[in-house]
Amino acid sequence: MDLALTEEQEMLKAAVRRFVDTEYPKDVLLEMSATGQTAPSAPWSKLTATGWLGIIIPAEYGGEGGSFTDAGVLFEELGRGPVPGPHFSSGVLGALAILEAGTEEQKRAILPDVAAGRRTIALAVTEADYQWDEADVQTVAVADGDGYRISGSKVFVFDAAATTDLICAVRTENRQHVGLALVPADAPGVSIRRLEGFAWNLSEVRLDGVQVARSAVLGGRFAGGWAALERAVAAAIPLLCAYQVGGSQQVYEMSVDYSRTRIQFGTPIGRFQRVQDHIINLVNELDAARWTTYEALWKLDTERAAADSIHLAKAVSSVAYYNACNHAHEVHAGVGSTTEYGLTLHTTASRTLYQFLGDPKYHRRRLADALDL
Amino acid sequence: MDFEPRYTAEQEAFRTEVQSWLAENIPGGIRHPADSADLTFEQYQLRRELGRRLGDKGWLWPTAPQEYGGGGLTVDHSVVLEEEIDGYNLSLPPYYDSGGRLGGNSILVWGSEEQKQEFLPKIFKGEIRTWQLLTEPEAGSDLANAKAAARRDGDDYVINGQKVYVGSAHGSDYMWTITCTDPEGDRHQNLSWFMVPSDLPGISVFPMDLLSSAGESGAGSGVKNIVYFDNVRVPARNLIGGENEGWKVATTHLELEHGTGGKIGRNWIVDRLFDYCKTNNRRGQPLSKDPDVRDRLVDIYIDAEIGRLFQLRNYWMRHSGASIAYEGPQASYFRKQSGLRIATGILDILGPAALTKDAQWGAGEGHIESHQRAAIIALHPGGTTDIQKVIMARRIGIGRQQRERAGALA
Repeated sequence: MDLALTEEQEMLKAAVRRFVDTEYPKDVLLEMSATGQTAPSAPWSKLTATGWLGIIIPAEYGGEGGSFTDAGVLFEELGRGPVPGPHFSSGVLGALAILEAGTEEQKRAILPDVAAGRRTIALAVTEADYQWDEADVQTVAVADGDGYRISGSKVFVFDAAATTDLICAVRTENRQHVGLALVPADAPGVSIRRLEGFAWNLSEVRLDGVQVARSAVLGGRFAGGWAALERAVAAAIPLLCAYQVGGSQQVYEMSVDYSRTRIQFGTPIGRFQRVQDHIINLVNELDAARWTTYEALWKLDTERAAADSIHLAKAVSSVAYYNACNHAHEVHAGVGSTTEYGLTLHTTASRTLYQFLGDPKYHRRRLADALDL
Repeated sequence: MDFEPRYTAEQEAFRTEVQSWLAENIPGGIRHPADSADLTFEQYQLRRELGRRLGDKGWLWPTAPQEYGGGGLTVDHSVVLEEEIDGYNLSLPPYYDSGGRLGGNSILVWGSEEQKQEFLPKIFKGEIRTWQLLTEPEAGSDLANAKAAARRDGDDYVINGQKVYVGSAHGSDYMWTITCTDPEGDRHQNLSWFMVPSDLPGISVFPMDLLSSAGESGAGSGVKNIVYFDNVRVPARNLIGGENEGWKVATTHLELEHGTGGKIGRNWIVDRLFDYCKTNNRRGQPLSKDPDVRDRLVDIYIDAEIGRLFQLRNYWMRHSGASIAYEGPQASYFRKQSGLRIATGILDILGPAALTKDAQWGAGEGHIESHQRAAIIALHPGGTTDIQKVIMARRIGIGRQQRERAGALA
């Protein structure tokens, strides 16, 4: 048993921490939040140059071939920003979907570009009946000449406005299968509209008779596509959790610092037990998320059956990040509500990530199934 | 990272040795009452006998130093032992003993060489069982307010006073206690820590009538007692750490009691509940197929998993020498709070069947009913939930001007 990071992982952690501090300081993050422009951007170009987008892509496909725990270290540090951009969508979800569903030829053609950030991918799955279930996919691919015409409406697509390509879950004309098609985001018939408000980098994606070649279908056929997507999403989830852990860690440290320096009634507010309660609740949520997440990553790395740990980690981490921000607002009061302070960057991210890839209720149901109850 | 012990060939051979030794040496007839208050004296004697046999092998306190009667084994060996004895629904030690886990560590850190030689081998070999005597009627959460008085008289100290919520059923061989040696002295500077033989004249023990004295799972203490000291003469050589130095001696065992020790293990009550819900039908289907029940079982599972991981983390931190701050009281706080939530979940799922040990209408052979009571009582031993939060805040560095450091451990 050894719950420490390896020396290499500690070095990676320090390197990512330095990178985020230098390239994504608060004013840059606030600017991105105000404009919605996350990628392309100057810091994004530097992020793609690090090779970190290929951290879990095998070396034979141009990636770093790192472990899930290595990637967990990376995404935890990115989560501290919170650094926006399609690093997780493309480097993890997109890459894993291609690894699980793609032909050898597709892997060789696409993955090196994903690892290098030349192409970025968002996963367009959910529709009007917003759930992560196969039955909810109504977007249809109709055979047309040598390829297909895809029509339908995807909604709440994470990072769609910042990527070059979309992997769309589509149903066959005979409704038998749900498979995956790779669609360029600028293809005729694709329209992407950001959803304004408290949503974080979510878009509607309309597909109006989008023409794709037969070779755009991952794996060369629709059958088995949904199952491959489920495997990819399952393996990706603990890395999204790591991002939530990083965000929770950051708001914890912000809250501790603030409670030590903010003077009211002539004393630092951290001396008041009511204030301490918020911080203690926060750190308990944070550590619950951290250790459920790292155990899930360890199970993936050691090829153990991981379904129970994956659903547990997502259910716990989503609630943890959400509550961590709430506790931090209680500590910070008015100051935390000002955009310039930076807490609201996390608060905003925490809400969208709460439900992304399945909300806690969904993962609790799946956990009950995984426990064979 | 590695969340499981990874065993070498040598350790796997050790496991085989442990398995065959346990098969031969666990006395026949050991029973596991649902409520530890029902543990008979005969059952207690069987467990002590097992403890002495384990102690002879150095397996009762496997990681304690060999020179003082412990096993001197690695953590991984210790995990092997705990896993194997867990298969018999027993733990190390197989009975309630404050000495090996808490008091012994204080003696290791603060005792003189002579004191270590005198007391530790007896503890680590299972020859004696010790109780901790800390709480008094006016010194609960405010333990440093202890008023039991120890006055120097020649080669002895004479102790007078009262301690409450003490020990277990079936007596003890030694009591370790914190007393006031300077009523006028400054707080934390006026206390002294003694090892007291339980058979000294002037000590009287009266059992208390409590809702429960059991732990939430595993071996509980069975009974709690009031102990009176009436002019009890204790030899001065039994004073550990020096006169008026008792508080620092206490910080060691308090650190461990506040959850820093950690543990590896499963939650017995959750295992029992899941079994029950999968094998008992309501309205023609297993209880676990009811959507509301599944929802509650998942609540319980999540709480149990987080608690397990906190304990596992602390176990690793303690044995890897990692720097511990707030993690001990965090695990303790979480265990207490989640224990009560789990009890509520069980009551929701099972209804009145959770409240009776009736053989026909109760659930889980009485263990469920016992847990309903134990989960409430577990909120206070070793520091209330509020005290755990106070310590966490100090360790996080917000409760006081200076961040508090953890107590010294051996």
